[in-house]
Amino acid sequence: MAAMTYLQAISDAMRQEMRQDERVLVMGEDIGVFGGAFKVTDGFLDEFGPSRVMDTPLAESGIIGSAIGAAVVGLRPIAEMQFADVITGGFDQHVSVAGKMYYRQGLPVNITVRLPSGGGFSGGPFHSSNPEAWFMHAPGLKVVAPSTAEDAKGLLIGAVRDHNPVVFLEHKHLYRRVKGDVPEGLYTTPFRARVAREGTDMTIVTYGAMVHTALEATEDLDGASVEVLDLRSLVPLDEEAILASVRKTSKVLVLDEANQTCAAGAQVAALIADRAFEDLDGPVRRVATPDVPIPFSPPLEQAVLPSVDRVKEAARELLEY
Amino acid sequence: MSSSNTETATVDIVMPQMGVSVSEGTIVGWRKQVGDWVEYEEPVCDISTDKIDTELPSPAAGRLAEIAVDVGTTVEVGTLLARIATDARPGEPHASEHDGEREPSAPPTSEAAAATGETPAPSTDAPAPEPGVAAPDGDEGRARRRYSPVVMRMAAEHDVDLAQIRGTGRGGRVRKQDVLAHLEHGAAAAPAAPDPPLHIESPYRPEPAPAPRAAPDAPAPGPAPQPEARVATPVPTGHGEPLSRMRKSIGEHMKRSLELAAHCTTMVECDMSAAERRRALIGTTALPIVARCVVDALREFPALNAWLEGDTFTQHDGVHLGIAVSLGEDGLIVPVVRDAQDLSDEGLGRRIRELAQRARGRALTPDDVRGGTFTITNPGQFGAVAATPIISQPQVAILDLEAVVKRAVVITDADGNDAIAIRPMTMLCMSWDHRAIDGAYAARFLTAVRRRVESV
Repeated sequence: MAAMTYLQAISDAMRQEMRQDERVLVMGEDIGVFGGAFKVTDGFLDEFGPSRVMDTPLAESGIIGSAIGAAVVGLRPIAEMQFADVITGGFDQHVSVAGKMYYRQGLPVNITVRLPSGGGFSGGPFHSSNPEAWFMHAPGLKVVAPSTAEDAKGLLIGAVRDHNPVVFLEHKHLYRRVKGDVPEGLYTTPFRARVAREGTDMTIVTYGAMVHTALEATEDLDGASVEVLDLRSLVPLDEEAILASVRKTSKVLVLDEANQTCAAGAQVAALIADRAFEDLDGPVRRVATPDVPIPFSPPLEQAVLPSVDRVKEAARELLEY
Repeated sequence: MSSSNTETATVDIVMPQMGVSVSEGTIVGWRKQVGDWVEYEEPVCDISTDKIDTELPSPAAGRLAEIAVDVGTTVEVGTLLARIATDARPGEPHASEHDGEREPSAPPTSEAAAATGETPAPSTDAPAPEPGVAAPDGDEGRARRRYSPVVMRMAAEHDVDLAQIRGTGRGGRVRKQDVLAHLEHGAAAAPAAPDPPLHIESPYRPEPAPAPRAAPDAPAPGPAPQPEARVATPVPTGHGEPLSRMRKSIGEHMKRSLELAAHCTTMVECDMSAAERRRALIGTTALPIVARCVVDALREFPALNAWLEGDTFTQHDGVHLGIAVSLGEDGLIVPVVRDAQDLSDEGLGRRIRELAQRARGRALTPDDVRGGTFTITNPGQFGAVAATPIISQPQVAILDLEAVVKRAVVITDADGNDAIAIRPMTMLCMSWDHRAIDGAYAARFLTAVRRRVESV
């Protein structure tokens, strides 16, 4: 075990996997000489050389398209989008080509696309988004979103080894804020939910950075025992873990940092309505970002992103219901 | 809006036709009094037919002008029960009131008072109509509280009367925690498993230590450990209550069956290992799996899928399977799965679940409980290991599923070696009518069921 930041854990996952599997390569904008916009691949070029650490032109469609081609001939590319937002430029390659290749032609597309996502640091409308729901809606893609350093490493190694295209959402706000013990060596984290904290009175279902918001908001909430379920994987969605928690607590708050409409939490809420109706003791409540671009202005950004106070208020209301 | 006494628009409320086989119904209670405002589709009274209780929604909005049938009276379908004055408005005096006997609580117009020659006495009997408010939660108060799905389910599973529970949620809402607290206080409630009617845990509990008082050399005859208590209360105390209609109805039916049929009970022990595996696979309880095996066996032994009415013995083509559903202290009801032979075990599971839910929600129609040709009852969840059920007339047999208990049994392997194994076992107990069949037939049927259950 070594204490690592979330960012170091991501670096460590890639470095170790590249050391043991020469099919693994990384590609993206400024990831080589510069070491990446967030320095995730700092030192990679020196260790692995330019054939496995490729600086690409500023063209996301080209990055993902090249990664797909490399995967089809047997390599295991990890493509970095500089910000999750810019994946819109590679959307067609990702959703239409990578997502459907196996269905159409029987060719597995073993690519991992890393998306530095999320807001909370005044990144403004082009550098703060949480686009996971787009990919949840596209058949053929897996979508994972770690909240801890340990899971970041394990899920990333799992994503690289998975034969499907995997969207890996790494939350920028967690990069250097979250630190934890990370097992040494190579391990994979299953694409399943984890109980971040056990509780009996209510469940908050969430993932990514919001896991920490949920934990903080309910750490001492008038003595209530609040369970926090960290989904970790959005596709596949761990339905049984969600339903088991609902059966236990009967009250659910679903928390998303993404824009509210059709977010991952909407799918969770629909699942609960469909399959846990008879276990509910109150309405399924949601807290998410309203359907607006993320503002640059710090006070405005704080106003739209789900805050500890907003979660507290919603949790209290539901507990009292 | 005319104040004329005679030219008023009224809509009749009649005893409805509830299901094809119903010809009459009984008024259980009126929810509205003459003079009360009634919304469209708001329940005006509760009616009952045989085992089914239901509420009767108003066919129109208006003021209840007349009640024609008293509580407790049984009338034929189509009989006038009440009239609704549709020209009235909420909050207005009751325009169509045409005699002074039943005074609406709102003060009558001066003409009306003059016409009857009575002074408007202060109202004592009728509650003031609510002025213009549709208030679905108004005067009914507790009776109309809404409950969350989990609260309803827990109440059904544990036979809890929710009206007895004080809610601590918003606006007095009964929360899951309130039901849990209630169950904990009423420690008598069985620690029943959430859903499965058949369970695998042993129902046996350690014997309580024998009371040390009951010493054999005690001079007092009889088990009277507290003689002073006997002196203090020579007569047991308590308070009497009339039996509910459902209890009376069940009692009459059971007594009649015991008088009519020549009851015998045959029991066969059955290994539930395969059924438990199948049940885990399809995600149901064991009941539908056993039910499916029963349906198959009934095709082989059609004399048990039959009615005996007087001298007429009818063997049925289809299997219409009655499934006993407990309604807690209220009693039980037996909804019927029609044409059970057309359903798989999974399909049966779904039908049974749906019928049970409707039964507990008191939403069955009279047709749902008629026409059964064979009945299964499964109180196994409560831990008993054998019972002698009473046949539901005019059927000729009823199968009782009891607790599944792990037991040491002797099994024989393919090479003929005997061994002792731990197996989930249950008792298939069937009461049958000796007027219709004989014991050998019953035993052959039960072993046929067992053979199927053990190899699902």
